[in-house]
Amino acid sequence: MLSVAQVEARYGAIVALRDVSLTVEEGELVALVGSNGAGKSTTLAVVAGLHRPTGGTVNFEGTSLVGRAPEDVARLGISLVPENRGIFPTLTVAENLRLGAYLRRDGAAAVRQDLDGLFERFPVLGQRRDQQAGTLSGGEQQQLAIARALVGKPRLLMLDEPSLGLAPTLVDRVFELVGELHRSGVTILLVEQNVRRTLEVADRAYLLRTGRMEASGRPSDLRALVDIESVYLGGGPTTSTADAGPG
Amino acid sequence: MGSLLTGVAILIRGHRQLLILIVPIAIFAVVTQLVGGTLLGRIAIAFFINLMVVLSLQIFTGNSGLLSFAHVGFMGIGAYVSAVLTMTPEAKAFAIPDLYPALVPVTLPFIPAVLIGGLVAAVVAAVVTFPIMRLREAASVISTFALLVIIQVILAHWHELTNGPRSLFGLQPYTDLPTAALWGVIFIVVAWVFRHSSIGLRLRASQDSEPAALTIGVNVVRLRWIAFIVSAFIAGFAGGLWAHFVTTFSPRAFYLIETFVAVTMLIVGGPRTVSGAVIGTVIVTAAFQGLRTIENQINLERLLPFQVVGVTEILLAVVLIVVLTVRPGGLIEEREIFSGPGGPLGPDADSAAKAPP
Amino acid sequence: MTPEFALQYLINALSLGSLYALMALGMAIVFGVLRLVNLAYGELIMVAGYTLFVLNDSPLPWLILAAGAVAMAMVASVLTERIAFRPVRVNSLNAMLITSFAVSTLLQNAALLLVSPRTRAVNVPGVLSQNLDVGGFNVSMANVLTIIVSLGLLFGLNLLLRRTTLGIALRAAADDFPMTRMLGVRADRVIATAFAISGVLAGVVGLFWVARIGSVIPTIGAGPLLIALIATVIGGMSGLSGAIVGGYLLGALTVGMQLLLPQGLLDYRDAFTFAIVILVLLVRPQGLIAGRSAARVG
Repeated sequence: MLSVAQVEARYGAIVALRDVSLTVEEGELVALVGSNGAGKSTTLAVVAGLHRPTGGTVNFEGTSLVGRAPEDVARLGISLVPENRGIFPTLTVAENLRLGAYLRRDGAAAVRQDLDGLFERFPVLGQRRDQQAGTLSGGEQQQLAIARALVGKPRLLMLDEPSLGLAPTLVDRVFELVGELHRSGVTILLVEQNVRRTLEVADRAYLLRTGRMEASGRPSDLRALVDIESVYLGGGPTTSTADAGPG
Repeated sequence: MGSLLTGVAILIRGHRQLLILIVPIAIFAVVTQLVGGTLLGRIAIAFFINLMVVLSLQIFTGNSGLLSFAHVGFMGIGAYVSAVLTMTPEAKAFAIPDLYPALVPVTLPFIPAVLIGGLVAAVVAAVVTFPIMRLREAASVISTFALLVIIQVILAHWHELTNGPRSLFGLQPYTDLPTAALWGVIFIVVAWVFRHSSIGLRLRASQDSEPAALTIGVNVVRLRWIAFIVSAFIAGFAGGLWAHFVTTFSPRAFYLIETFVAVTMLIVGGPRTVSGAVIGTVIVTAAFQGLRTIENQINLERLLPFQVVGVTEILLAVVLIVVLTVRPGGLIEEREIFSGPGGPLGPDADSAAKAPP
Repeated sequence: MTPEFALQYLINALSLGSLYALMALGMAIVFGVLRLVNLAYGELIMVAGYTLFVLNDSPLPWLILAAGAVAMAMVASVLTERIAFRPVRVNSLNAMLITSFAVSTLLQNAALLLVSPRTRAVNVPGVLSQNLDVGGFNVSMANVLTIIVSLGLLFGLNLLLRRTTLGIALRAAADDFPMTRMLGVRADRVIATAFAISGVLAGVVGLFWVARIGSVIPTIGAGPLLIALIATVIGGMSGLSGAIVGGYLLGALTVGMQLLLPQGLLDYRDAFTFAIVILVLLVRPQGLIAGRSAARVG
């Protein structure tokens, strides 16, 4: 469905991504993990059309995404929930969701039905539907961001660190939700620093380190390779004992 | 003091770079003085005075990254103050009949009067702009624009000092080419020293990354304020020289069009560097004079069935827009993008690899 | 302070404040979406004024001419965005700001060249110079109409921004433009809409402004521009409501100054108004309406 091949991306003179390749098949939950600064968000930005790569290809269901504006990438059915959640603070919850349905052409009734479903799944959003989104708590904003992405009925849902900054119970809730979505058939590309929980839900995973793809495969394969403690410490996963320590 | 010494030290070491700027200008001045006609001589004086105003802009905008629309107003303050100080009591009786009695007998020599004009401009700047410098970027730029208008209003109505909106006349033409050129060169050096002084460096650092600059203890507001005061002085000084060049002027001479031309000179050349300011002034002065001459010829010889007015400004505006589209950093840009976050795509301004909106 | 006096002050302040509020709003809408301070905004008022001038001898009813003037202002606004601002958009905020200054100069000189550098009289419908009897007090029709039309516009705009998808998208873009695009909203469409609304507001202000003066001149936009700028700054640059409040406050302040200042200082009214604004900013650099983007430097 999504195929990223040998992508290179820069910020000025700094190379953020080097020879990065990954694929996501329909219905899969693919994880992209790595520590801070590994380039995970940049990868999503490249796919979403927010950042133009200096090399490589990005294809979605046969169409090239390179050089496309974010609006066009959205039109192809790709939805990104960014790291900062990207909710509109001065708009109400309902207005936020309404914009999530911006691209839908199947009529107000269908949208209404989906919204009802979302309010069932996220009751707190229903309670706060006319409240300004900026007044919601972090966890509620995360729910809103995901709900808004879902309203658009995306072909591919990309989540950038949805558990970031949330209390442990909320982190559980997020991963539960991600798992549910996956089971209901949504194709997901999940970017996370929380490697352990992510590998529990993912079908496949990629490991990114300072802009390069270190490893990829099934979670069980990766667990064998990855030293999870050092990932948590931000030092990046070690694949040999000689490499113990940060960075 | 320390920052001044640093600047001077760099000045001596980097003298080659500075000489490349100054020598051609000096040669131009000398040659024009010796063999140029009156017309070219006048254009040259105008050029040097423009240069000073643009340099004053460069010192503030180039280092702080903030635009200012007020500097031509400070030029006006310097012009009027120096005029009142150099005119004889008789001239003042004619030109500024309502002048405060205490000021009537005061007659100072040329350069001291011009200096005082600059100082008054600097003091006014110090008082008025401190609150402005605390504002966020957009608000502070707006405030400088409003400041220009307010100065205009005051100059046009304070008839006890300025003869109101009417022309002030009767000044002695003290400004000659050697004077203008000398001070032009002096201020090139000043701008250069400022840029490389620790104030200039710290200001530019704050421009590129305000949070980072704050963490190393840079007080951005104070630096901007100092830069503004220094630049207001130079603008005021230039105003004093200008007043004694044209010998007749009104408040209208320090308003929007002049601001526009000064801004164009700075932007076309590149506000980041002193050489940019100089080159921009050279190019735009040449273009402006050329276009004006053509305009006047067309009108004089009635080549067209209507009077051609304002075409010069229109063409300059088009040039400015084109430059901003194609090379926003100006001809001499220090880096690719001239300060500030990028357009609607978000704050990743330094990413050259941005998909166009 | 007689009741008549108080009523006069109130009507004057509301009327002037309404115009100022509309001006500030037009500026704030573009600023919210693009972070651009449009220095060519005053020239949109000039465009409306000159449209009326050009149509001076037209037999059509004034309402039609007025609609035409407003439409021209809107068109001019959208065109300047398309031709001048869009190519510069990618570069930087400063670039856009200077571009707006260039556009302003260009438009002013175009009017100078194509029409005349001198003041030109504009026909104003007689109804605007009439007075109205409100409960025994004499009130100018022009002021009343200004207030009514302005409130109507504000109400309509509020509907647009809250009920229509495009309006909601506009507000979202002011919050987070990149995210808005990621939801599929076309940047160009949102920006053009913002400029169109801004143009309509400027056009309406232009109508009433020209009606007050009875004439038009290339520099007619300078005063309103300054007012819009100051009102936006007082309002805090953090949202549309701030701009509206700033406009009304500035209107009340200006009329107040007009009444309070001694005769000799009346000419400096604008200078005093600005001085007060500076004082306000000294105390509250983020403006009077604290909003989400209310961060100050030092």
